[in-house]
Amino acid sequence: MISISMKNAKKSFGEKEVLKDVTFETYEGEIFGLLGPSGSGKTTIINILTKQLTVDDGESYVSVNSSEIGLMLEHDGLYSRLSCLDNLIVFEDIYGISRTQTLETLDRVGLTDAKKTIVKQLSHGMRQRLVIARAVLHNPKVLFLDEPTSALDPLTARGIYKLIGDLRDRGSTIFLTTHNMEEATNLCDRVIMLHNGTIIEQGAPKDICERYNSFKTTMDLESVFVQLTGGTAQ
Amino acid sequence: MRNTKAVFKKQFKDTLKNPAQLIQFIIFPLIAFVMSALIVTDFEGVPDDIAEIIAASMPTINMVTMQATVFVGMGLITVIPGIISEDMEKKSLRFLMMAGVKPVSYLLGVSGVLFFVSFFTSIAFSFISEFSGLDFWIFTGAMMSGVAASIILGGMFGILAGNQQAASGLVLPIALILGFGPMIAQFNDTVANILHVSYTQQLNVIADYLTLGGGDTPLWQSFAIMWANVAVLGVLFALIYRKKGLKR
Repeated sequence: MISISMKNAKKSFGEKEVLKDVTFETYEGEIFGLLGPSGSGKTTIINILTKQLTVDDGESYVSVNSSEIGLMLEHDGLYSRLSCLDNLIVFEDIYGISRTQTLETLDRVGLTDAKKTIVKQLSHGMRQRLVIARAVLHNPKVLFLDEPTSALDPLTARGIYKLIGDLRDRGSTIFLTTHNMEEATNLCDRVIMLHNGTIIEQGAPKDICERYNSFKTTMDLESVFVQLTGGTAQ
Repeated sequence: MRNTKAVFKKQFKDTLKNPAQLIQFIIFPLIAFVMSALIVTDFEGVPDDIAEIIAASMPTINMVTMQATVFVGMGLITVIPGIISEDMEKKSLRFLMMAGVKPVSYLLGVSGVLFFVSFFTSIAFSFISEFSGLDFWIFTGAMMSGVAASIILGGMFGILAGNQQAASGLVLPIALILGFGPMIAQFNDTVANILHVSYTQQLNVIADYLTLGGGDTPLWQSFAIMWANVAVLGVLFALIYRKKGLKR
């Protein structure tokens, strides 16, 4: 069943055309990766799908309502004077979930010991984990993650991958953007590659790598991307 | 209702942990208390005729009246735009809205906290003035009517501003007029006539009536003017909200 889709979506900011005829579909229970360098239009797609922006032309669709969506965006939106737990309690109250579930979620992201720590005293990695905890607190049916592991140490990133995998196993659809091709290769069921607002390739990471004969010791989506774009970021 | 309660709880905790906001609710009663204590009203040892001359020449400004007016017109009015614009700027509001919180629930939750905390500030002013019985309720009624007007006015600036710097810039001139205008009006009839329709001037009139006695304006008229202010500001707020909404 289709969970998220875009059909011939176009978006411009002034003269700059950010999305040019973007079409894709994601299905329930899959981890879908949106790959591309900075400025390729990834965040614009998330902003459209979460209804913070509208398309100039074309269609966008998300199968669930906003309260069934989990979000991790560019700006963390945390309350910096409140503790980690208090930040989650705001959403615990909104979603009507139990304190036990909130504490379990904190535990899943490894922040139990820091539950009373004020957010402005957290390291970047810990903030990132708290944002993920907030995003998954209510076991959302669709989870949007914008660069979920950027600036995280490898160990913490692995913990996040596990969390994302667990959510997928429970039937959630995960839509993530990343410029980390290795992350996409290991994590995503399917990916699309975005370059200058255009989809240049899509499919399962393994299939794409096979298509372009791009295996070193492991699958290498990065080489595929460089081949397709001729090595230009913009 | 659940969402309003969630925002209320969040805002209450945040206000208690934000010294810049919290101080607005504490500093004005504190100044009133200190300044009231500093004014000599005890003329013991001074001959009666001289004491009478001194008392007659002392200004008839009541410190509670002055500080209560500045709190409602100036202190409080800067708090709510600060909260709204901070939530917009840091994108916290976006996450609340995405979680299903309606703008109205958000505004009610935030305003509710300010109304609630202001009630305690009002009690502190009453305590300093030693108001009791009917006087206490009249003063509290006047204060909370003024608080309601300031919250609505501040909310308008919060919606219009979008970021904390712009909010301060927009609010300050109005806050100065509303906060200090009634004080100037005591020395200038023209200013008093102009400010007669403002809620802070009427708060000043009511507080003076209770502390100093008398006054030209009947109490009911002062309350009517204050509530008319609340109604007019409410309509203006609704218009601005409909036009601009809450920027995420």
